[in-house]
Amino acid sequence: MATVTLNQAQKTYTNGFKAIHGIDLKIEDGEFTVLVGPSGCGKSTLLRMIAGLESITDGEISIDDKVVNKVAPADRDIAMVFQNYALYPHMNNYDNMAYGLKNRGYSKAEIDTKVREAARILQLEDHLDRKPRQLSGGQRQRVAMGRAIVRQPKVFLFDEPLSNLDAKLRVDMRLEIKNLQQRLGITSVYVTHDQVEAMTLADRLIVMNGGVAEQIGTPIDIYEKPASQFVAGFIGSPAMNFLKGKVSDDKKHVTVGDGVMLDLDHDIEAGRDVTVGIRPEHLELLKDGEGRINAGVRMVESLGAETLAYLDFGANADNVTLRLQGTHQFKKGEKLSLSVPVDKIHLFDIESGKRL
Amino acid sequence: MKRVQFEHSAVPYLFIAPQILIISIFFLWPAAQALYQSFLLEDAFGLSSQFVWFRNFEDVLSSSSWTRSAIFTVVFSVLVSVLSIAISLFLAVRADEVIRGAKSYKTLLMWGYAVAPPVAGLLGNMMFNPLMGDLYMAFNSFGFEFNHIQNANDAAFVVILIAVWKQVSVNFIFFLSGLQGIPKSVQEAATLDCKSPERRFWTITFPLLAPTTFFLLVINLTYAFFETFGIIDVSTKGAPGGSTATLVYKVYVDGFLGADMGGSAAQSVLLMIMVSVLTVFQFRFIERKVHY
Repeated sequence: MATVTLNQAQKTYTNGFKAIHGIDLKIEDGEFTVLVGPSGCGKSTLLRMIAGLESITDGEISIDDKVVNKVAPADRDIAMVFQNYALYPHMNNYDNMAYGLKNRGYSKAEIDTKVREAARILQLEDHLDRKPRQLSGGQRQRVAMGRAIVRQPKVFLFDEPLSNLDAKLRVDMRLEIKNLQQRLGITSVYVTHDQVEAMTLADRLIVMNGGVAEQIGTPIDIYEKPASQFVAGFIGSPAMNFLKGKVSDDKKHVTVGDGVMLDLDHDIEAGRDVTVGIRPEHLELLKDGEGRINAGVRMVESLGAETLAYLDFGANADNVTLRLQGTHQFKKGEKLSLSVPVDKIHLFDIESGKRL
Repeated sequence: MKRVQFEHSAVPYLFIAPQILIISIFFLWPAAQALYQSFLLEDAFGLSSQFVWFRNFEDVLSSSSWTRSAIFTVVFSVLVSVLSIAISLFLAVRADEVIRGAKSYKTLLMWGYAVAPPVAGLLGNMMFNPLMGDLYMAFNSFGFEFNHIQNANDAAFVVILIAVWKQVSVNFIFFLSGLQGIPKSVQEAATLDCKSPERRFWTITFPLLAPTTFFLLVINLTYAFFETFGIIDVSTKGAPGGSTATLVYKVYVDGFLGADMGGSAAQSVLLMIMVSVLTVFQFRFIERKVHY
């Protein structure tokens, strides 16, 4: 039960590289916050700064209004789940979970109660006497979770905990983590590069890029109103389509490709060059000639429940991705006619990439 | 399951032949010779010999000089192994923490590896030379009445010091690579679970180094038993009065300098038995406690 506050937290490495450029953030009690971004964006560094595994070179990080910049990791009352589990290979699973409690001076009986309770929650009761290497990946990750929950810490930190698991297990564990977090109500910070994990787990999502928090908000907010072209391209799969456009003189239209006019509902100056963003799922397939956007099929991926078509649009053959429900048969080179609802058009500044 | 059958050919035997040949010439044949000779009594000039059954063994086991040498060997080996393992472990842990200039530290600490035991003995000799040895002078100027030429304990100190110094670099390399083999995230998980670095070392790092430590224990005991011959021969030559002669050195002194081939052979047979027992003991009882 705790809040985590970041006040202009910064990280500059000794070689001068600035990994984190001053982040302000308040994580509420019991909130599940997900840090998402491409590799090298500083999301893991930020998590490790909260954990105390990386020093904070400027600014402050507080847990429950207590500044923890100089507090040792073990005294921050946090628990972390690592990507490669980081279990102690020479200890059995019981001792792995008990280790943190032993070092905090709990009695044998208390430790036993806590470890068995955690093992019960995570269905590890039959594996307590075994060594980590005798378990499967999913079970190991459970032990790592157990090691975190036995201590009932103020904050849970997850560093890409599911990326070493296979696809099916990942989905199961994702649900399990969400379930567990809601049940225990412990403030959590979760780092991932997987946007499905990010969207499904987060109460609040922080999209990071180049050591900066590009956008902070609920997953749906971020999906519907991405603050920048980067966020728009990163959240959503397949990625949003971007086209060069020019706002028409009457401000009611934007021109893309070879003079294709799309309706616009933005308050924006006439004649401005912009980047137009359209999500693949927001393009609608119409009968021949009825849509304003006409594009030729380059490649099709059929996933059963949906079909992805990669199209060439306009004279420059700009790539446009189309996502349709159900199965569709398209021939290579077939011309498709598409339209897009006016409220699904995103505009971004060409220079800064900011949402307009 | 059906076993894969290869056609029999002479090729595999050809491949192992050089090794078999080397083992036969340099180990099996001399060992058989030693065993045979240990039952013989030879005159001083090697002109005649007589089969005497176990008399050589009786003589060796009842001689006070052999018992003393055996005790010295055990004490010497244990001290050399334990000290060189402890010191190198300490150095490796420290060197592993260093970030700036790590490479130079590591290279400097490994340097000793390139020194051959007799050279190490020679260096020790110079440092403990009563006329110009720096360490000899230093000890005496601090008020110790240090005299390794007359005092058995001081002499033992000198050979142990040289032997440990020589071995530290070897152990250091193994410990350092062992430490680097411990996943960083495991150590980080431990820093979240345990505040005290000492406790963390003894509960996480050291157990994970156990395979390395066990391996080094075997290597170091063998080293102390056999390879220190060069150090002893160059530095003290077993003086004063055979008090720093290990069993191996005594075999050489009695056999090749004292020309008592039978007695020397009996000693080497006993040595062989001792080493076999030690090896079995090590693998049986210590390795069990080692986590791999």
